[in-house]
Amino acid sequence: MSRYRLTIDTGGTFSDLVLHDGATGALRVLKVPSTPDDPSRAVREGIEMLAADGVDPAQIGFFFHGTTVATNALLMERGARVGLAVTEGFRGIAEAMEQSRPFGRTIFDLGFTKPPLLAPESRTAEIGERVGARGQVLRELDLASIDAAIARFEAEQVEAVAICFLFSFMNGDHEQVVRDRLRAAHPEWWVSASSDLLPQIREYFRLSTTVINAYVSPVLGRYVNQLERILDEHGVAPGRRFTMQSNGGSTPFGSTSKTAVGTILSGPAGGVTASIALAAAAGDESIITFDMGGTSCDVALIQGGVPAMTTHGKVAGRDVALPMLDINTVSAGGGTLATVDAHGALHLGPESAGAVPGPVCYGRGGTIPSVTDADVVLGYLNPVALLGGALAIDAAAAERSIRERVAEPLGVDLWRAATGIVRVVNVTMAEAIKAISTNRGHDVRGFTLVPFGGAGPVHACQIAVDLGIRTVLVPRTPGVFSAQGLMLSTVKHDHVRSRLEPLLGLAEADVNARFQALLAEADAGLADDGFVPADRQLRPLLELRYAGQGYELAVPVTLPLGPGDLDRCRERFDDLHARQHGHAAPDQPVEVVNYRVEAIGLVPPVTVPDPAPATEPVESALAGHRPVLFPSLGDRPVDVPVYERARLLPGHAFAGPAIVEQYDATTVVCPEQDVTVDARGNLVVTLREVPA
Amino acid sequence: MSERLDAITVEVVNQSVAGIVQEMQNALFATGYSTVIRESHDASGAIMTADGRVIAQHTVLPIHLGAFPACVEGLLRRYSLDEMAPGDAFVVNHPYLGGSPHASDMAIITPIFVDGTIFGFAGSMAHKPDIGGLAPGSNSGASRELFHDGLMVPPVRFWAAGVLIREVEAIIEANTRTPELVVGDLRGQVGATFLAADRVQRLCARLGRATVLAAAERLFDVTAERIRSVIRSWPDGEYAGEATLHNDGVEDGRPVHARVRVRIEGDRLHADFSESSDQTAGPYNIRPDLVRAVTYYVLKCLAGPDLPSNHGLAMVVDTVFRDGSVLSPRSPAPVNTYIAMALVTTEALFDALANAVPGARIAHSSHGGALVTGTLSHFLPGRGAPLVMYEILAGAMGARPNSDGVSATSVHVRNAAITSIEILETEFPVEVVRFDLAADSGGPGRWRGGLGLVREYRALGRSRRVARGGRELTPPPGRDGGLPGRSSRVVLNPRTDRERPVTARDGNVELEAGDVIRYELGGGGGFGDPLARPAAEVLADVHEGYVTPGAARADYAVVVVADGLAWRIDEAATAALRARPG
Repeated sequence: MSRYRLTIDTGGTFSDLVLHDGATGALRVLKVPSTPDDPSRAVREGIEMLAADGVDPAQIGFFFHGTTVATNALLMERGARVGLAVTEGFRGIAEAMEQSRPFGRTIFDLGFTKPPLLAPESRTAEIGERVGARGQVLRELDLASIDAAIARFEAEQVEAVAICFLFSFMNGDHEQVVRDRLRAAHPEWWVSASSDLLPQIREYFRLSTTVINAYVSPVLGRYVNQLERILDEHGVAPGRRFTMQSNGGSTPFGSTSKTAVGTILSGPAGGVTASIALAAAAGDESIITFDMGGTSCDVALIQGGVPAMTTHGKVAGRDVALPMLDINTVSAGGGTLATVDAHGALHLGPESAGAVPGPVCYGRGGTIPSVTDADVVLGYLNPVALLGGALAIDAAAAERSIRERVAEPLGVDLWRAATGIVRVVNVTMAEAIKAISTNRGHDVRGFTLVPFGGAGPVHACQIAVDLGIRTVLVPRTPGVFSAQGLMLSTVKHDHVRSRLEPLLGLAEADVNARFQALLAEADAGLADDGFVPADRQLRPLLELRYAGQGYELAVPVTLPLGPGDLDRCRERFDDLHARQHGHAAPDQPVEVVNYRVEAIGLVPPVTVPDPAPATEPVESALAGHRPVLFPSLGDRPVDVPVYERARLLPGHAFAGPAIVEQYDATTVVCPEQDVTVDARGNLVVTLREVPA
Repeated sequence: MSERLDAITVEVVNQSVAGIVQEMQNALFATGYSTVIRESHDASGAIMTADGRVIAQHTVLPIHLGAFPACVEGLLRRYSLDEMAPGDAFVVNHPYLGGSPHASDMAIITPIFVDGTIFGFAGSMAHKPDIGGLAPGSNSGASRELFHDGLMVPPVRFWAAGVLIREVEAIIEANTRTPELVVGDLRGQVGATFLAADRVQRLCARLGRATVLAAAERLFDVTAERIRSVIRSWPDGEYAGEATLHNDGVEDGRPVHARVRVRIEGDRLHADFSESSDQTAGPYNIRPDLVRAVTYYVLKCLAGPDLPSNHGLAMVVDTVFRDGSVLSPRSPAPVNTYIAMALVTTEALFDALANAVPGARIAHSSHGGALVTGTLSHFLPGRGAPLVMYEILAGAMGARPNSDGVSATSVHVRNAAITSIEILETEFPVEVVRFDLAADSGGPGRWRGGLGLVREYRALGRSRRVARGGRELTPPPGRDGGLPGRSSRVVLNPRTDRERPVTARDGNVELEAGDVIRYELGGGGGFGDPLARPAAEVLADVHEGYVTPGAARADYAVVVVADGLAWRIDEAATAALRARPG
């Protein structure tokens, strides 16, 4: 009954559909214009187009969805009317935020303001209660204050309520009572308690995350209900419907709307998931993903098949403290504009040509040169048309704009100006890569770069050469790679408890006991999602720090711990700290901060058949030659072979410099690199060994 | 390999050095041991030329822009470049022999060797929870000479050829009440500079040392030129500004003035600070290098927040100081509370420039900081040295010409983060009993000043509060008819019969278990006539609890009455009140 697996990834311009046919292994790709006012319309349309094309929706056994509904609700401040319950006397937590201004330009901005409170003071109720640092009750819960809070929320006509009390991560009883009373009084209120969502130390971040959750959850909840109806109407199999999360996993529709805040930074997660699968299949588990689109570039590091995670992100100045993929975003994309200021300094971005007017070479009214225009002038992109001929390119216009707006003001020739634009944007992206790799103690040269997104493969090979990265792995369909990743994602929930204590004072049995409840909770969660025991995986982690430090590192553990295991844990922590931060302090006491369990529900893997091996020589894939400028070959273009990606098959090999064109992307191979096509049809671009 | 210097190469270098200082910053925060670094983020990193000009600094703490060059200058007075070797690192915290703002800020300066000679320096500066001196936390208001401020370290070698000099570490370790934290933080600081040195070496290997240095010079020129073009648009003339600190650290109410005459002449800015008060007996003095940094901060705010933080800022400003004044004290005048004058001088500069530059017309802010909170140290039974809890509570921003001030925020040249209550209570014998905004603390005006915050602590054991004091007696003035914000206040045992105010003059305050100390941070000044604030906005402020109905009536002439759980305007009464002249 489940021949197909469908993913729909809602983007700003297009909603990408990828359908996997289990019977044939074939992938079908479809792009439907997005419908921002009601994103479910594009979903309905996509399913109907597939149905019209002979796909029986009832045969869709798994449905994966990447949605920006919660993100947009937050960005556009169109979330629910939220009330907030805090410990009496502590309204300042929400107002003060971190108290410091964000680093960078804001410090010098005299007009700076904090983002408006999602739950303003007028909708904030103070509850008589107090829990202390060891979880002890310092002040009993004052039930009358709950009634007063309900009256206030009623008067303020709230739709949702966030609850965040001090030290609720040590003892959540008070929060739970308030939560239950609010729900009993008003079942229509959407209530989120911080001890349910994020039982973790640091009250402001916990509060901010809980408030955002309450703010976006009703909106995402309504949307998911609507999707359920659409899917039901079309007979899509119930139950196996998932939403992509910022932590790189997915979650069933049923729990999606309980933790909507978990989807807020999920945009780039699909690409990371797809990269992990791609790399695993290629037997290479240390990779850096490189997703370059029109306005920004997202990079992430994956080591041993495990993506780097972080526990803090910011959206529009607001703090989200859930575990999420550690994705570094810089404003550098194909549309990034190049300008020269009155003082003769060249600037790339942060402004972007965007979809409208787009780069000058698209001929839609753009006049300021962009990175894409430089790519056209240098011969990296086809100077006649892109997207298989669907997008005409005006190379002359690109050339004119770079000449007039960059070359002449700088007093350099056209070629120098165009290579300069690419050079600067590449440095910005290379710095973004260093920030997640060398800056954290990884030797970037040992990683494989996986480029995708519209512009990724155009720039990735040069950046790899600059950084000394030996291998670039270009997937078969870089343009829809992120959507493809969604269907490969496993279900993932994080369960965490903060409990600050010295590691030295703990016995293995204590740690086992502390993990006990978490493991049970994690396992039950997966069971609720419908996973059979064989498909449930639990990964316990101890988050440790040197006594006195402010930030933790996660050390995986195998339970139950036996004698000596905590000592080994400690050694692993020292090693990790040395690698990540450049020094360790084995003589310094270590503290446990959090107990964490990652709960993973395994979704059956999809298999895509490998392309047939090449029978013709590589010359059969040669489409022609065109002049391309590579700085390492001089300051003028040279003739370079252009290959057609569709005709490059496993076993083919050729040397750079070369250009590889396909419908959704162009790969630019540098003179220092060689290319082979692997058994799965990926381009493997390697740095040629230079005899010393 | 070297390449031609053009705008492209310059921008490549610019992006690269920005990445390097960002990396230093991440390393400092991630590895900090003390709450000062890891929670308050009081640390920064820079790379400099061999003569100490800043090539790049991550903009966390604007004040350090002046401190780094002065540290290198001090280092070079003591050591010649050929006395230095790869893997060396120097430590300095001496405000006169180096450039540290005060003893608490210890700097690590590491020479960067490229092709066997010194390319420049990597520096990191971070606030230490304690470096000795009269009182825990080192910054005692009772300090009367530099030697009261704590251990003074002139620029000395701390690491030699990649190896820690244990003797120097031992001296530092023996002179602090928090040896583990200080030694741990220094270790992280050295690590951050070595990291930066390595990255600069790689950059030079790629582009050529001469190219990188030439690009740095060009970056300075471009920054300077961008500021000059803005200054040219300001009307020539001389503009005076003044702001005042309420005491000299010895006598409450004896004012200390920062006075500046700013002369704009074509594309240059001269700032003459010589009319400022004489140096103080107490620790409010500030060294000229830091006053220059304050001037760069003000310039960057007005000329473009996007300007890079490099030496170019220094190229367009001339400063004049009077020896023996509070802004150019003679050694050994104590300086531990320099930040108070840094902030007051910031206001004086805005005050002067407000006459020439519309963007400078903002009301004064409430500066907050440890000036108000002081340092709480906790004495634990069976532990020799007390636990030092150094916290920085922010003030609030003054109102701007078209927006309200910002509540509970670090302002101007300081940018400390608040410490989590849950972290405090887990690590110190203290209980926070209240954390709120102070209603009516924002200066009334067409635009209201930001509100200060209120935090109350209950001591769970014997503790000592070490006071400094700053601007509690001088409320932050408003501008263009706006009224002043409320002053900061410190109260012992509020709402009890043992309640009493505490001022800087009280010096150390001993707390017994159960005593409560309340910090009420001041609000920012207002902007414009309060009667011009639309009644609906006043009502909204009452609804949010920012303004009480009494203040709405008294300050804004708006009559707000309760309406169930909500509020409404009494239109008739308001109209009558607002119509009344004066």
